Amino acid sequence: MNFQWDNLFRSSAREQKLISKLRENMLFKDLSTRELRLVENIVNIRTYRPGEVVFRQGDAGVGMYIISKGMVNIYTEAVDAATTEVSTSQVTSLREGDFFGDLALVDPGNRRSASAVAGEETTLIGFFKPDLIEIADRNPTAGVKILLRLGEVLGVRLRETTLKISELKKDLPA
Amino acid sequence: MTPLLAAIERERRAKLFFFVGALILLLGVLSLVQNMLVSFILAFVMYYLIAPAVDFLERRGLRRLWATVIPFLLILILATSLGVLFFPLFLSQLQTLVKAAPQYIESAAALMGRIESQISRYSAVVAGDDFHLGLQQRLTDWVSTNAEHLPTVISGSLTVILLAPFFAFFMLLDGRDFMRRLLGLVPNSLFELILNLNHQISSQMGGFIRARMIESLVVGFIVWVGLVMMGFPYALLLAVIAALLNVIPYVGPVVGAAPAFLIALVNGATNTELLILLTIYGTAQAIDAMILVPFLVAKIVDLHPVTVVLAILMGAQLGGVVGMIICIPVFSALKVTTIAIYRHLTHFRN
Repeated sequence: MNFQWDNLFRSSAREQKLISKLRENMLFKDLSTRELRLVENIVNIRTYRPGEVVFRQGDAGVGMYIISKGMVNIYTEAVDAATTEVSTSQVTSLREGDFFGDLALVDPGNRRSASAVAGEETTLIGFFKPDLIEIADRNPTAGVKILLRLGEVLGVRLRETTLKISELKKDLPA
Repeated sequence: MTPLLAAIERERRAKLFFFVGALILLLGVLSLVQNMLVSFILAFVMYYLIAPAVDFLERRGLRRLWATVIPFLLILILATSLGVLFFPLFLSQLQTLVKAAPQYIESAAALMGRIESQISRYSAVVAGDDFHLGLQQRLTDWVSTNAEHLPTVISGSLTVILLAPFFAFFMLLDGRDFMRRLLGLVPNSLFELILNLNHQISSQMGGFIRARMIESLVVGFIVWVGLVMMGFPYALLLAVIAALLNVIPYVGPVVGAAPAFLIALVNGATNTELLILLTIYGTAQAIDAMILVPFLVAKIVDLHPVTVVLAILMGAQLGGVVGMIICIPVFSALKVTTIAIYRHLTHFRN
């Protein structure tokens, strides 16, 4: 095996894979190949061991993560006021292609509302506020496309939350 | 702690060690290799000045390489034209001033002696009878030492002038990629904090440097036009000194104006001439304070005057004139970093 060719091939495949991962994501759906290349050069690839914390509930957040490979468990912690005991409950498990922490991209004083912990060997694509600002600076069209999609994502989340609140209100005694 | 969590902690420490090690190595190379630190600082200044033009061209659809090459070529043409036009005049004024320095020093010392004797009439002598003679000796020594070092300073300046644009070019072209690679070494637990910190420092430094450069250029230009109109000797040289020293807040404008007043006093200027000189420097500072600062410097890190003076004193102690000029951006960066780390420690963690 010629190692040089082997490495070249792998690098190119990895780049293709990252671009296709980004293209699959809701936020980057509308971007052209050139715009995706810009995003590809800006996002941050992070790897996590099983059990490694991505962020903790209450941390200040500056961006979102897309799961490129692996699994992330989302937990919430609640403190019992009487006993000051902390109870942890798993909210959900996110898999390849899912994304989380998107509110931190637009909320200046954002605090993480839950903890995220890698469930297995996990690769995340980190997309943070400074990255979004850089994209908007260098290619405003791409920036607007991402922001419109981000607005859509947040709108859907708001609609779901409102629906949940309405359902809960129905259950309350009059 | 489970073996897996212990392994994660070990990996985190190793990454942190390499990240800090890489930073220390970089700082070590910069401070140990001759002319490297000054070249890098100048390259950073150039980077922050040219970056908006590069981003603008990139927004217009140009590739990063061309968006970097075009402003560089334009600046090179502009700098060469200005150099051809003004450098010979600047050099001849500098040479004339160096030649005339002993005469100026003698006259300045005599002037100081007269002031001393006037003061001693009204109060006890504060600095001793021979203060003006000591001052004359010190100034003569300073000028002769600097004149001796002039060839070394010029050759060092040439190295800096060649190295700084070279570094600035690659900072603009690949700087973000390099920073991304460096940030890749940061442990996961600190990544968001360091990324955000880097962004905050970078944007504040950019605003600070651009504003200070524009301020200096405007102040230098007003002083130059005023002195030329007045027919004052060494107009270009004094304007360059005023522009350079204007970078230092509070102290800079006063020190920048001092040589002109000293020359005027030694040459036996009339009260009207001194008043015109005061008007020129005063106008430059008034425009700076009333027009440029509110519009340009609003975004700059706000440092308390006491902090500024302390920073200048420390900068002068550690790095001479260069230290005085760079101490404010360095202090601003330290302030941003400290605030961000404090917030991280107090607010970041739940």
